[in-house]
Amino acid sequence: MFGVDVGGTFTDVVAIKDGKAQVTKVPSTPHQPELAVLEGAKRLGVEGSPLFNHASTKGLNAVLTRSLPKVAFMTTDGHRDMLDAGRGWRPFDGMLNPHWRRPFGDASGRPLVPRYLRRGVIERVLASGEVLTPLDEDNVRRHLALLKRCDIDALAVCTINSYVNPVHEFRIKELAEEVLGDIPISISYETVPRAKEYARASTTVIDAMMKLMYADYASSLSDGLKDLGFDGDLNFADCTASLLPWDEALRHPYRIIFAGPAAGAASCVQLGKAVEAPDLICCDVGGTSTDVTLIRDGATFTNESFDLEFDLAVNALSTDVSSVGAGGGSIISVTSTGDIKVGPESAGSDPGPACYGRGGTVPTVTDACALMGILDPNDFAGGQMQLDLDAARKAFESLDTPLSFDQRIRYAYRIAVHNIAEEVANVAIARDADPHNFSLVAYGSAGPMLIAPALEILDVKSIIVPPNPGLFSALGLLSTDMVYGDSRSVYLPIAPDSAGQLNEIFEALEAPLVAKLPAGVTPTVKRTMDGRLFGQSWETPFVDVPNGTIDESTIPTLVANFHEEYERRNGLAFPQIPVQGVTYRVQVFVPMQRFEYTPAPDTTPAEPSPTGYRTIHYLREASVDAPTYDRATLDRGAKVIGPAIIEEELCTTLVMQGQLATVGAFGEIHLTELEKGPGK
Amino acid sequence: MTITADGVQAGTTHERKLRDLDDESFFERFACDRYTATVLANRFNYILEHVSTRLLTGAFSPMLRDLYDFGATITGPRELDYPTPVVGKGLLLFTGTMTESIKNSVEEYGVDRLRPGDVLIANDPYRTGTHVNDVLFIRPVFDGSRVVGYTTIKAHQLDIGGSVPGGFSVTKTSVYENGLVMSPRLLVRDGDIVPETWSLIMDNARFGELLGADIQTIISCLDLGAGLLQASVEHYGADAVLGTMQYIVDADAERMTEALERLPDGDYTGEGLLDADGSSADEEFPIRVTLRKRGGHLEVDLSDTSRQARTSINATALDAKTAIGVALKFLLDPDNNFTSGLYRCIDIALPDASIISAFPPEGVVFTYGEPTNVILTSMMRALAAPLGELALAGDFGSPNMHTGFGQHESGRPWVSTGVGGGEHGPWGATRVGDADSFMLFMQVNGLAIPIESSEADAPLAVLRREYLTDTAGAGYNRGGASVQKDTKWLAPAGHNPLTLRLKEETGFGANGGEDGVRPAVWLWPDGDQSGGYGTATRVAGVFNDETGERDANGTYEWFGREKTWAADAGAVFRYITGSGGGWGDARTREPQRVLRDVRDGYVSIEGARTTYGVVISGDPEWDPEGLVLDEAATAELRGNN
Repeated sequence: MFGVDVGGTFTDVVAIKDGKAQVTKVPSTPHQPELAVLEGAKRLGVEGSPLFNHASTKGLNAVLTRSLPKVAFMTTDGHRDMLDAGRGWRPFDGMLNPHWRRPFGDASGRPLVPRYLRRGVIERVLASGEVLTPLDEDNVRRHLALLKRCDIDALAVCTINSYVNPVHEFRIKELAEEVLGDIPISISYETVPRAKEYARASTTVIDAMMKLMYADYASSLSDGLKDLGFDGDLNFADCTASLLPWDEALRHPYRIIFAGPAAGAASCVQLGKAVEAPDLICCDVGGTSTDVTLIRDGATFTNESFDLEFDLAVNALSTDVSSVGAGGGSIISVTSTGDIKVGPESAGSDPGPACYGRGGTVPTVTDACALMGILDPNDFAGGQMQLDLDAARKAFESLDTPLSFDQRIRYAYRIAVHNIAEEVANVAIARDADPHNFSLVAYGSAGPMLIAPALEILDVKSIIVPPNPGLFSALGLLSTDMVYGDSRSVYLPIAPDSAGQLNEIFEALEAPLVAKLPAGVTPTVKRTMDGRLFGQSWETPFVDVPNGTIDESTIPTLVANFHEEYERRNGLAFPQIPVQGVTYRVQVFVPMQRFEYTPAPDTTPAEPSPTGYRTIHYLREASVDAPTYDRATLDRGAKVIGPAIIEEELCTTLVMQGQLATVGAFGEIHLTELEKGPGK
Repeated sequence: MTITADGVQAGTTHERKLRDLDDESFFERFACDRYTATVLANRFNYILEHVSTRLLTGAFSPMLRDLYDFGATITGPRELDYPTPVVGKGLLLFTGTMTESIKNSVEEYGVDRLRPGDVLIANDPYRTGTHVNDVLFIRPVFDGSRVVGYTTIKAHQLDIGGSVPGGFSVTKTSVYENGLVMSPRLLVRDGDIVPETWSLIMDNARFGELLGADIQTIISCLDLGAGLLQASVEHYGADAVLGTMQYIVDADAERMTEALERLPDGDYTGEGLLDADGSSADEEFPIRVTLRKRGGHLEVDLSDTSRQARTSINATALDAKTAIGVALKFLLDPDNNFTSGLYRCIDIALPDASIISAFPPEGVVFTYGEPTNVILTSMMRALAAPLGELALAGDFGSPNMHTGFGQHESGRPWVSTGVGGGEHGPWGATRVGDADSFMLFMQVNGLAIPIESSEADAPLAVLRREYLTDTAGAGYNRGGASVQKDTKWLAPAGHNPLTLRLKEETGFGANGGEDGVRPAVWLWPDGDQSGGYGTATRVAGVFNDETGERDANGTYEWFGREKTWAADAGAVFRYITGSGGGWGDARTREPQRVLRDVRDGYVSIEGARTTYGVVISGDPEWDPEGLVLDEAATAELRGNN
């Protein structure tokens, strides 16, 4: 089976054959991402493989760079500016900045849909579902005729209160099919029938765009794989890294727009099962940023929506991932008062760090690591690149600061680690988790070279560096289930009188999902509800709802489940306040074939034997000579005392003085403080 | 009143710039090296991020959760004169009040009486700024017996007693109807709730259960923050922690001084107006600022400002201080966080018992953001000329909040606040670009209530929430456009419009840009809008006597002439917000950008010709891609003007 994770710089490919992981990294081909995917499939031999699971960033990149098709938006007359207004707020960092602009607003010049293609049509439905103003079909036809003349590629429709009564949206869709012919049309009720118009509208627009972006892509990928002899199942991962058959994914492709970070977290869950560590903090250090995810009791947290950019909302279920602008490519700069600052700007992959020798002149975290001696200048990225230390040195010398050269590098490296560590702490505290009970999993190609000092800063149990840290996320695509899901919103008091209506809603959601399943599959059905206390403006998501018929006797359980979930999330409960249901959700889980870690034989390990020595500068006041090891030669149970450098093809792990690296049963490295010892 | 507390070591001048300090002199001044100072400064920010995150996750009140109506700080100890080196993710409205509010509370209570595990509270606006609903919670952090700092939260409570549930009203006439006033006292002693303080709050405030829960959450947030600060003290030492606090405010002071030095010396004036208070329309409340800028020093003189209002639209001196600091950050240092150090080179003069430095008991304070927003925009106006291209245009000026209320058929009461008015509107343009049209006004921030949620909660339908053509202040960069909101109320209801700034264009232009337009409010009692403004009731604004449209030379109508505006089911209220000012000469805007604005309905064909000097033909509404830009005619038109 194959897992493929397309990133900005590299496309990571993992193949499991006879229980063993084979990996390769192919430079990404942003304009035709399938080329890199197919190249990877070819390299590792996709013929005969039963599964090809894919996480794509094609849609996300298109949104971030606004390389988007021409999509029109149709809504209720008077409301076309909801796409400009968003939720009307500013980020904290922009509060004192009068130049801040909503990144997708008309004023920014970067709206997803320009205002003249946002059309209000005469109709209005009330919150009760009652029609206040009937749909004026002549008016709709007139707008559609205009959009036809404008030669739009796709249409998104979201009218006010359509989540309660979609009659007008459905009719608009019929008229649009008549007038516009065979172009993708997304209506909000079919896309994501949840209350709160802006996020529903924004999701519907993204969905229409993704239909265009992914239809051709998926078919050329599928054809390409067939040419390579693949006749298994092609699946896309969604934003929780759950899998969808590609034709199902294409029905509502907004769900697959951002799967990479979720795949990394899923990979951590799988690793956690193997090493019997149910509580983990995942730390994926990439070129521009670090993604942090908390795993408790072997599960990630799921959100019911996320933002692609600030406030650019997508109502897709997504793994809770938080991000900080610190990675290998983060730029080192100097503040007006002479202090070192790391990020949030990044040198990206082009020109990249100065030491890449591609014309970069500003220093980055990777340059610091190169100058420190953590990275081998002669054997970087599997020998694909020679590092230009002179360029790195010049970049640091060019900084305008009273700090000495040593200080610049030491401070830059340490501050980068600090920024990552603080984000880790932030994620833990937000979930009321004590880091002391968690291990930190460091992956992404820059993770293992940066993470060691975090052991001093954070009071975590240990740091785990998985095998193939640079391709660890792709492995997550071989670690999840297939999930079919649907949801809808109705504001309903959770009271005996509502039982009948709740039952109808859940049955109506569930039946079509189960009907989709291939014969002979025994699915697990999971029902949840997003509800709120009366008077609150926000919902508490994923309250458990019992399966089967819902009647009056079910209601107390439902109310109790709500209060329990509320307390679990917020630490407080308000059982005296009545509960209102808002969104109801059914997910059908179909188990998939997965990658399973297999332990190495538990024999006496060979004494680790250094491949050489490198001097590490600037880490502390004095330089220190550190032995280097080839990770592939370290047996299960092998112990390496820091300072040391453990090298593998695409990654370098630093072990600091006072730290112990122990190789685990699955090839993973556990970093602990020497005085504490492993697992203490 | 003259405010002199301006951060740490007021009046101290250092000859060497911070960036020029070598290791030794840096250590001498701040008791740590630069690396430690950077790490600790970052840590302080994260501590408050943790505190804010927990508060936002745990709070019941939408005032906190959606509107961020709180302030949080790490505050330095008495030995540093209570500086604010870092603020949390709350509102700007709180920032400038925090140094004195904590200092006043701690000093009055007695710093020597504080013990680890205590939480001190206070909410008297004349001691702590903002309004009575904002309760200040102060948690001391100790290193042995030495107080090394405080973690604090000042948070808006859903209710604090008084004559109006929730408190939002512009008609309260004395502090005695405003709500419970608490002088500084302990809420928590050695980790345990002080029952007499707890009961005092619960006996006076409405919604006690919710309030109590949120107060518990706040205490746990402060414990968290204090624990994290304590850990920093243990790891880096108290001297390094205090040194870093000092360093952060010194750096901010230095940046502000340098920014002022770059401005030409001179005296600059600006002003703005509140139309009336809640008692009658017979008195206007102008706010006037004179800025005297010399070298790296600035005097902000608001002496020529009107006396305090007779109802609850006043602000305190500390709120004036906040607005002044926010204005200076906006104008001179928008990329760095707020700290109390920015005030070190600023002197502020405020007239006693004025609308911006009100005195008890008559100078009652509630909607303090209205007068202080005038201070902010008056400062922006005053510095527009010396700043030139760096100047900022004005925003829509006032939240124009609407409250509707009534009873469901079941008899259950409903209330809808902040939905049916002009709560969100446009900002002004800057050198960076055009302005957004849908924001809260400048010192606040928060999530707009979704239309569908508001309609599920109360009997109303927002028929229209859309930007208006030809309203955005013209300029090389244009301001945001007016928002028109028509709300149909589906049940008989009472309505309270709260509109204090309708007599002037608050969205003034900058750097040669043009002013925006004024706001106004109408009502169609039977909901039939077919007769246009001629059949509408003029609720608030300045109107043409004949047509009922907005007219700068028309007649002012005061919102308060009905105590409550009663309306039958089906009535429609219309709010049109003011618009944002433009930046730069409109006739230099690239014709292609004007064409885009015409295509998008921000500017009409006529507006393009008369205001921008750009000649466009076609039908923007029904043939937007068929518009034709006549470059020759445009060149001629622009050349001839």
